[in-house]
Amino acid sequence: MSAPLVSVRDLAVHFARPHFSPLKPRETVRAVDGVSFDVAKGTTLGIVGESGSGKTTVARGLLRLVPVTSGRIVLGGTDITALGGEEMRQMRRHMQYIFQDPYSSLNPRVRAGTIVRSPLDVLGIGTPAEREARVAELFAAVGLRPESQHLFPHQFSGGQRQRINIARALAPAPDLLVCDEPVSALDVAIRAQILNLLQQLKRRLGITYLFISHDMAVVKHVADEVAVMYLGQIVERAPRTAFFARPLHPYSVALMSAVPTVRGGRERAARRIRLTGDPPSPIDPPPGCRFAARCPVAEPACRQTMPELREMASGQWVRCHRVEVVGGTIRRPLD
Amino acid sequence: MDGAPTTLLDISGLSVEFSGGGRTARVLNDVALTVAANETLGIVGESGCGKSMTALAILRLVPSPPGRITGGRIVFGGEDLLQAPEQRLRDVRGHRIGMIFQEPMTSLNPVLTIGDQLSETLIKHLKLDARAARARSIELLKAVGIPAPERRVDEYPHQLSGGMRQRVMIAMAIGCEPQLLIADEPTTALDVTVQAQIFELLRELRARSGMGLILITHDMGVIAEMTDRVAVMYGGRVVEEAPTADILSAPAHPYTRGLIACVPDLDAEEDSGADLLEIAGMVPSVWDLPKGCPFADRCAEAMPRCVAEMPPTSVLSAGHRVACWLQEGTGP
Repeated sequence: MSAPLVSVRDLAVHFARPHFSPLKPRETVRAVDGVSFDVAKGTTLGIVGESGSGKTTVARGLLRLVPVTSGRIVLGGTDITALGGEEMRQMRRHMQYIFQDPYSSLNPRVRAGTIVRSPLDVLGIGTPAEREARVAELFAAVGLRPESQHLFPHQFSGGQRQRINIARALAPAPDLLVCDEPVSALDVAIRAQILNLLQQLKRRLGITYLFISHDMAVVKHVADEVAVMYLGQIVERAPRTAFFARPLHPYSVALMSAVPTVRGGRERAARRIRLTGDPPSPIDPPPGCRFAARCPVAEPACRQTMPELREMASGQWVRCHRVEVVGGTIRRPLD
Repeated sequence: MDGAPTTLLDISGLSVEFSGGGRTARVLNDVALTVAANETLGIVGESGCGKSMTALAILRLVPSPPGRITGGRIVFGGEDLLQAPEQRLRDVRGHRIGMIFQEPMTSLNPVLTIGDQLSETLIKHLKLDARAARARSIELLKAVGIPAPERRVDEYPHQLSGGMRQRVMIAMAIGCEPQLLIADEPTTALDVTVQAQIFELLRELRARSGMGLILITHDMGVIAEMTDRVAVMYGGRVVEEAPTADILSAPAHPYTRGLIACVPDLDAEEDSGADLLEIAGMVPSVWDLPKGCPFADRCAEAMPRCVAEMPPTSVLSAGHRVACWLQEGTGP
């Protein structure tokens, strides 16, 4: 593997809660609590997890859209953790974001062509004539008709709006594209169109993706590597094939088994690993393993000490006391 | 579900129109569906295909104006709900037919406690007094798996998580032990692990009470896991209906095939990342439905006839019917 395009070490993003009473200590939401990963150039890292697991905050922290509490973010060899002002602004041309909701992420008063051109205007890329040409090229690249540049967002369907979002993100020719649930708000039949477009762009332009989704099947389809998040931490990270063939962490196993599938049907539902309750609050996470309270195989030790993220096989990392290597094979607690 | 199970709900020829600005839109067109006791019927399709409208029409909750039920019969327990007086419907809604809406966040009243909202239907329909209604509310919360129900009953919706709120909605819907439960995308806003819990609960309830269940979803995986029969809706029509196993193994309508193939398959041995099958274009606007097959403009197999004429419904095998020119005359 060549030098990674993105390298994140021990990223933490904590938020202070609004202070209601001077008598109580101020509460901190540990939205992201020590996350590390690399993304090689031209590959896709898929981050899966349930709502509140910190997926979106990782993405926002990575792009410095929220204040980073601690950790280090390196993009293309440049440490951007502490970059400020103009320097950070210029870095932004290398990293762009596709938002989940194609309805609220486009300004309803601005024409589609202007929306797509705006990053070029803001970052001062090219002459006006070059910008016009670039916008036309982008409309073609994402499959929008050139004359639709003059339309307003409400004149497009959800899928088309997501194409505008993608065109806007592509405008400054970024190396890294962060896609935050890019198809969740779309109708099922439209999702395939957008997923195919993103895959084609990856093949054609060699873009690197951080792809956030709660949908296991979508991640299996797009990602080269998978990271599973639970309550602000990565609990498992592995290459796609290894992960989907045999997830190691009990949470990954449970999450995968919870997905209803066409072929699995009722049998799959009957074999499902049942998780009770909801994830605990990130305000005051438990001292041991954060999954212990819902884990079907938790032991007393799991509630006391936080497991480290350990490499069990090449590229397969897991944060669980109970996964171990016995005689060269990885033994899972749920086997 | 073979043999002759008691038919609980029998919808035929149901049509709903919306009018405005001098135009008329047919949002439901000649919809026919049945649900038996102890059976789960799935309704699947994209947004704007008429799934939720069908659910609303069953309870005569179509917003009116601009909407209007223009024809058909909805026979429930031997009585045509479309002919029943409004007073009678109040006894059906929330009592004999329960409904779970899609949005647990917006379907609960934020200024009333969970207990108040649960008790309301119990007092109204079962004529319980306040004390008995409260006791029953606690029982219901317990039945849907809410921990510490004695405490939760006095809490407000904002104090509960999304999954818990949806459980409260279910508790409310089953409070009067309905014969039929309509669940409109009950888990779309929830995480998969919570979805699994809700489905488990619905399966248990059905097994225990023998109620009929209509489950509206856009997820074919959910259809496979939860339903006995499926109706695929498109452009306000049922374009295919069959026992779930038949529709998944041999989908006849190109739209049904598209819905199954357009999502990545988690069960696939290896996903090469190759392009997914796309259903080109989008759902037609109800204001602008074509005179032929509503799916014709997105269908890869469309023939000139599909654009010109509405396909008739053909029966392929027992309980499997489809409205598609490709299948015309292929039945038994």
